[in-house]
This record gives sequence, structure tokens and C-alpha cells, in this order.
Amino acid sequence: MIVERPKASSPIEGSPPLPVDASDRRMRLMRWGLTLLVAVGAVVAIFSDALRGGGAPYLYQRIQTFVTIFLGIFIEAVPFLIAGSIVSGLIAVFVDQAAIDRYLPKAALPAALVGGGMGMVFPVCECGVVPVVRRLYEKGLPLSIGVAFLLAAPVVNPIVILSTYSAFGWGPVFVGRIVFSFLIAAVVGFLFGRARPEAVLRPAVCQLHHDASHPVHSHDHSHHLPNAPVGLRLRQAFNLAGDDFFDMARYLILGSMLAAGMQTLVPQSTLLAIGQGSVISVLAMQALAFVLSVCSTVDAFLALAFAGTFTTGSVLAFLVFGPMVDIKSSLMFLGVFQRRIVVYLITLPMLLSLLMGVWWNLNVRW
Amino acid sequence: MNMLSRPRFQNALKALALLALAVFLYTRLAGGVLFFYINQRFVAYTIFAIVGLVMVALSYRPTSRQDKADDALHSHYRLGWAGLAIVMAPIALGLLVPPQPLGAAAMQNREINVASQTRSALPAAVRAAAQKGAAERNLLDWLHAFSTSPNPAQEFAGQPVDVIGFVYHDERLGENEMLVNRFVVSCCVADASAVSMIVRWPDAASLPNDAWVQVKGVLQPGEFNGRALPIVVAQEVIPTALPNQPYLYP
Repeated sequence: MIVERPKASSPIEGSPPLPVDASDRRMRLMRWGLTLLVAVGAVVAIFSDALRGGGAPYLYQRIQTFVTIFLGIFIEAVPFLIAGSIVSGLIAVFVDQAAIDRYLPKAALPAALVGGGMGMVFPVCECGVVPVVRRLYEKGLPLSIGVAFLLAAPVVNPIVILSTYSAFGWGPVFVGRIVFSFLIAAVVGFLFGRARPEAVLRPAVCQLHHDASHPVHSHDHSHHLPNAPVGLRLRQAFNLAGDDFFDMARYLILGSMLAAGMQTLVPQSTLLAIGQGSVISVLAMQALAFVLSVCSTVDAFLALAFAGTFTTGSVLAFLVFGPMVDIKSSLMFLGVFQRRIVVYLITLPMLLSLLMGVWWNLNVRW
Repeated sequence: MNMLSRPRFQNALKALALLALAVFLYTRLAGGVLFFYINQRFVAYTIFAIVGLVMVALSYRPTSRQDKADDALHSHYRLGWAGLAIVMAPIALGLLVPPQPLGAAAMQNREINVASQTRSALPAAVRAAAQKGAAERNLLDWLHAFSTSPNPAQEFAGQPVDVIGFVYHDERLGENEMLVNRFVVSCCVADASAVSMIVRWPDAASLPNDAWVQVKGVLQPGEFNGRALPIVVAQEVIPTALPNQPYLYP
């Protein structure tokens, strides 16, 4: 599945491989190009819409709606992002790399299972989990654990379990959500068991990951500072939290803008007109989860609104797939993983939860 | 050396950007417009975010005590102009576009739950709504109440109604009719869905979209889009100010 592809080697024999800076720059260029494309597309869509719909006042109302939804998602997500960043900073400074090395399994299967359950220890939602995972990778966390943790933690954690329970009570949706989130995350994590870190992680993250797994020269990059006073170590932790926050906030903000733009332009009825087909309803709810980008701590209450009109399998798909992947989190993944891997991280959970939803619709009568 | 890459300048820039975000969130909170964006039970989270942002910003303060500390503290992330511009975008948009809750413009794009749509969910809320007196029910309570009845149009006929909401003129309505609506927000406005009642009022056409009104009237059996459902025949429509909390919470 995830095959390591050798980096395109230069035709000149003996020349060094592509320097990190160049690929990073190309990546940045690519990202900006993509952003620009989306922005231009959105502007064109809004204006053509406005010309049909009635001119300037209409356009202004649309912009106002866009800004309100964008700020809504952003203000809702900021507390979780800052919390995740602070946890990440504390991990960087206070968690010993040797402990990760000693206590966490490296074999793919146990690693995937441990990663899937790690959300019970680190209760983070999909905005908070990304900086935490990146930091753990820099501490030498095995790939499988990180991927399974990244995908499962937004659901398999005490807060979300509680909110799902209070929305749906004990029943198929509650049980199905937790079990399938864990399973899908573990499966995807397992698939990453054979992958090489340098083919998966972004170069900057990978460098530290490599150093952490080869502790001979690790002291140069470590933020661990075991001999410094606690006050200084705390300050270092918050410094790193700030860096993480800025890095991730960019993706969060662009993602929130995209989500708000989609919500302003695409009528919900296009998605919701198809609530009863066993397959199409699942696809529709997955698309809705991706577009809405609602935080996993509360999406259960939102899903409740669809429970009457949509198939159970599709509601489950919304609750399983949405927290793993949505517009803002998939942009945030770009800060940790290489582009190709982000595509895997979106499509694999998407296909697996589709399979789950359709299977549930066809076979389960609870 | 580029000014941007000087460590001191970087630290100052990061601290100021974080403080700016904290102040921005605080002004939303203090100005009472935070409820335009999120459910009230998330206010505590916003306060936490403000505290967290300030704490992180303070960690970038210049060190004077010892040179050793400067050596020990190092960060790898360099904030560039583009990154700064993106992080400041929420503040810029928030200041350029005056805060306004979702209104009629958002109705065109969203599901409208015209009261009477059956819902199997929300048992607790439904029971609570059923116990309320008719005149105390808000739009969401009415939606819940209707969902308990197999034939709401008949069962609720004659009951008094007193609700607040904003006006939206739907094309499918008759001349003297309008929708009076509230958005229901469980988390933030991204998940808003509208609850609405059809109001019959002779001067309905004179009320613009987004006008906030208090409607007093009586329920009567009616029809919308081919479905039987209760309609409010208004006796009084009083223009009101935007409520402090424009949305309803499930």
C-alpha cells in the first residue's frame, strides 16, 4: 500500500539528493498556488452568483454570512488548538525520548492498537491532535501509533464519548461510532507499519524523528533540558507551544475559510435531498462532514438533527469519518505529512467508513 | 540580515500576534457578540483560549536575567509575512465586516425545519417542551411539541402563540404570509439550522427580511409545500430589537 519510492535522483552521478530546502520551497509554492486557485474560484463563484441573485446588497449579505460562519468555526476551534499546542510543548520539554522508546511497541499490529486507544490518555479533538502527533513523531514515536492516534483520538476519548452518549444514549450509534472509529484508525495505522518515516513525514519532522530514534546525536535537537530549572523549562514549553500554534493556525484558518465558503455557496439541500439510499446517503453524509468541519466534541448533537431523516449507516459515517478528516484537519495534516500521504490519510478513512456505512445499512437491524 | 529573521524581532512579532488574537477574542466576549458565533456553553472555552494565548505570548518576553537562558530557549518556527497575514485574517475580517448573526441571507442555503417535521430524536427536550405552557414555547419548543403529535395541525389548533424571530420571505408562501425564524446552534454557526413557523399577517409584505419581530397569535391548521401543518394567525406583530442571544440552543 504505502511503498517507499526512491527520491527522483539527479542525472548527474554522485550529486547529493534533493536538498530539504528545495523540496520545502516547492511544497510551499504548490500550497500557495492551490490557495490562490481556491480563492479565485470562490470569488468568481460569489460574483457570478451575485449577478444572478441581485447585485451589491446581496453580495454584501453573502460576504457577511461567510465572515460569520468563518469566525464561528475559528472561534470554536481556537481553544482546542491552543490546548493541543500547549500539550505538545509540554511533551517536547518534559517527555523523555527514552520512555517512548522503551514503553511503546514498534511492531505494526500492537502499535496500531495502542495508537487507537491513546486518545483515552490524551483527550484531544481533531484540531488539538495534529500538533501533539507531530511533536510525538519528533520524539521518535513509531509511525503506526501516530497515524492510529491521529485518526482515533478525536473520537476515542472520554469527552467525545460522553458527548456522544448524551446525544444518542446507549445504542447502535453510540457503540458503532466508538468501535468503528477505533477499528478504522487501527487498520490505517497498521498499513503504515512497513512505511519508512522519510517517505511519510515532512522533511523537518522526519529529521528530528530520525535523530530521536538514533540517540547518539540527539542532544543537539532535544528540547528536553533535564538540568534546567523548571521555570525555564516551562517557558521553553510555552515557546514551542506558540510556534506550533502559529504553524497550525495557518492551516486552521485557511481550512475554516474553505469550509465557510462551501457553506455559503453550496446549498445544503443538494446534499440532503438524498437521505434514504443505502449508498448515496452515506456518501452525502461523508461529504457533509467534510464540508462542515465541525469539532468532534460536539458533532454528535449536530448528527442528531439528521438521525430521523437519514439512514443509520450514513449518520454513523458522519460521526466516524468527520472527526478523522475534514477540510481544516486535512489542511493541518500538511504540516506533518508529505502531500501524497495526506491523500492516503483522506481516502483510506473515507473508503473504510463508506464500506462500514453501507454494510451497516444493508445488514444491521439493531 | 533580514529584519524578520532576527530572533528578538521574531519573538516580539509572535508575542504581539498572540496578544492581538487574545484581545480580539476578548472584545467579542466583552461586546456581547460572541453569541453571534458560538453556542453559549462554549464561552468558557473562549475564556480558556484568551488565557492560553496570553500565557504563550508572555513566554516570548525578552530574557534579561542570564545569557544561559537565551541559549537554552530556542524555537525552530519562523513566522513569515505570509503566515502573519493569515493569522491576522480573522481579526481583519472581524473588524472590516461588522458582527451580525446569521439571518435571512443564510436561509437560502440551509435546511429549514418548518415546524411539524417529525423527529424521532431529542426525547428529553421534547418532553420538556410538551410540559411548557403554549404561550411560553419558543420556536424550537414548538418544533419539539409538534413532533410528538401524529397530527399537529389538528391537535394544536386554537392554542395561543407568542414567539420571537426574524422575518424571511420564502417564495413558496402566499401574499400575506411570512416565515418567522430562529437559528438553532449546537456548537458554532457552522452547524446552524433554522426553525421556522409560518405567520399569516395582513402587512407581512411590509416587513423586510431580517426584521426581528415578536408574534402573538393563534394556531390554525394550514398547509405548506403540500404538507398539513399549523400556521400562526397573528393578532399582533411587534418589531423588537435583536435579542442578546440571537440563536436557540438545543
